[in-house]
Amino acid sequence: MKTKSQKRNQIMEKYSIFIVLLVMIILCSILNENFLTPNNLSNIMKQLAVATILAYGAMLLIISGMLDLSSGAVLALSGVLSVSVYKSTGSLIIAFLAAILIGILCNLINAVMVTTFHTPPFIATLAMQTVARGIALLYTQGQNILQLGNYTVFGQGTIGPVPISIIFMIIITLIVWYILRHTRFGRSLYAIGGNEEASVASGIPVSKYKYIVFLINGILVGIAGVLFMSRVNAGLPNGAVGYEMEGLTAAIVGGTSFSGGVGTTMGTLAGAFIVGCLNNIMNLIGVDSYVQQIIKGVIIALSVMWDIHSKSKKTTKIILTEEIAQDS
Amino acid sequence: MTALFISMTLATGLLAGCGNSNSSDSTDSAKQNASETESDSEAAEAKTESTDETSSGDTYRVAYIARAQSDSFAAWLANEMLTAAEQYDNIALDVFDGQADDEKENAAIENAITNKYDAIIVQPNNGEAQRPYVEQIVDAGIIAITTNARIDGIEGASSVDADPYKQAAVNATLALEQVPENAKVVVLNGPSGNFHADERRKAWEAEFFEKRSDVEIVGEQIANWNKDEAVQYMEDWVSSTDQIDAIISMNDNMAAGALEVVAGKEGFEDILCYGVDGTAEACLLIEEGTMTATCLQSAIDLAELNMESVHKLLTGEETEINVDINEVLITQENASEYVKMYKERGLIEE
Repeated sequence: MKTKSQKRNQIMEKYSIFIVLLVMIILCSILNENFLTPNNLSNIMKQLAVATILAYGAMLLIISGMLDLSSGAVLALSGVLSVSVYKSTGSLIIAFLAAILIGILCNLINAVMVTTFHTPPFIATLAMQTVARGIALLYTQGQNILQLGNYTVFGQGTIGPVPISIIFMIIITLIVWYILRHTRFGRSLYAIGGNEEASVASGIPVSKYKYIVFLINGILVGIAGVLFMSRVNAGLPNGAVGYEMEGLTAAIVGGTSFSGGVGTTMGTLAGAFIVGCLNNIMNLIGVDSYVQQIIKGVIIALSVMWDIHSKSKKTTKIILTEEIAQDS
Repeated sequence: MTALFISMTLATGLLAGCGNSNSSDSTDSAKQNASETESDSEAAEAKTESTDETSSGDTYRVAYIARAQSDSFAAWLANEMLTAAEQYDNIALDVFDGQADDEKENAAIENAITNKYDAIIVQPNNGEAQRPYVEQIVDAGIIAITTNARIDGIEGASSVDADPYKQAAVNATLALEQVPENAKVVVLNGPSGNFHADERRKAWEAEFFEKRSDVEIVGEQIANWNKDEAVQYMEDWVSSTDQIDAIISMNDNMAAGALEVVAGKEGFEDILCYGVDGTAEACLLIEEGTMTATCLQSAIDLAELNMESVHKLLTGEETEINVDINEVLITQENASEYVKMYKERGLIEE
């Protein structure tokens, strides 16, 4: 029998990041009366969409013990090429698929380097970052691509009152959550990140799954590229610089452990919202740019410290490892 | 085996880089250029473009160290430098990329000095960081020009620039008449410490805000010249403020980003918007009546004036030159002229 105290601790462990988010939302709504308006909440979600989608890719890779530093640059490459394809063909579908294809291609190369040639993900994806940015700049000669026409529908259009970019974010959230929580592949990623050698020994096709994770990341980065370029109504070869860090920050703030094997979709979503709300409220109340950077760093560090501190030894890793054991 | 593989890869990369940038080896100058470039791997890696060599025996080798080829204006300027250099039979121009990094830009300057170029044109990433290196150019007896932005007070160095204060001031003067009484405005700034960003903001302060105490700034942030950052700030300001009468932006990219948020939005139909640079996008927006005004910082004019200046310095016609291009205010009255210019250069589709 669990005592009340144990139950309370368990709830705190599981929902600590959501408690942080809730406290932040309450504080923000006290600080500025416009914070909880539908218009502002819609803004926050639109602003979050690209970073959240990247964060899911980052989360999947980190859970399985890998990393992607190239996502910002690949986003720019897939975005400008998608814009270019749209301007040549006039087809939104072909342009959308082109972005995904470029994302997949770049991540396939990442996967080959990491999985087949055992290059450390940090180095392999750093190299891809440089190459992808270089190709984007070479292709556009450093110039923005203008006059996007209907291409902006992805990032600026709405279905009813709901922005399309938010719909993308919701659908992707559900898919990633399902993959991670309800498929053998998703649950195996925790095992791979927790102990790769043990995973190989237990019969998990580690290399194959690592390839799949990179390919999923490629699809997500491609979609993010389309949303980013259509949101700013331009093909920006030098856009999204540092966006890989936005994705990583959301994932880490959301409880994904850099040591691998730990992380959840909803935690990452909460992490993205914490960062997004923080950016939003600081602009709403007119905090100076330099002070914003300091506050952002301090709050991110504090929330992660509190989240880690509030978790007991019984982490998600153990819970999910037990589930895998039960399944098999 | 690993070492052999890496060596071969590096050699192939270097050969590919040199093959790209040195298209001819028909002259002594070209041969000298190629061999010197090959002797310095960093220079070979950083070198991005070069003009064709001339057949004249008196070819002057000029290095242009661009701030960052990833910056759209800097990339445009670098391309225009190459085009302008083609007008001079006795100038061979090589372009190097500073990659928006002081360390890399300074290394590129040092390499150009080592390679004994006849003249070195530097587009600083950060004026004060490049100052000692431009002084080294002068000390080495090589002609030095700083451009966009100039580095002031280097004895023996020349400069070609646009005056960022005046660029913003022409907009501010127009805004004095156009911005309504008791207006609420938002301000988008460039990167802190950037000479052009700081001077433009100073001009707005002195030429507009100090003269219009009725105007209230309801939002001001650094959007680092970036369109996507400006979009985000403007979205937040529109949420928190009922009224925004004008967007005052230190460049066109950020102005266009802010306008993207209020395009077609009820209550913002008459919003005024001022930028600087005269980019293709801004000219289109001004022509269609969405944006109010910008000041042209013409890469074409800057490049032509740079080449004219370096030619005069190399041939001994002048010993020191400090010049600025003119500030051209673009409004709806003359925007079509510049849209046409961009169409001719392929930067806007017909």
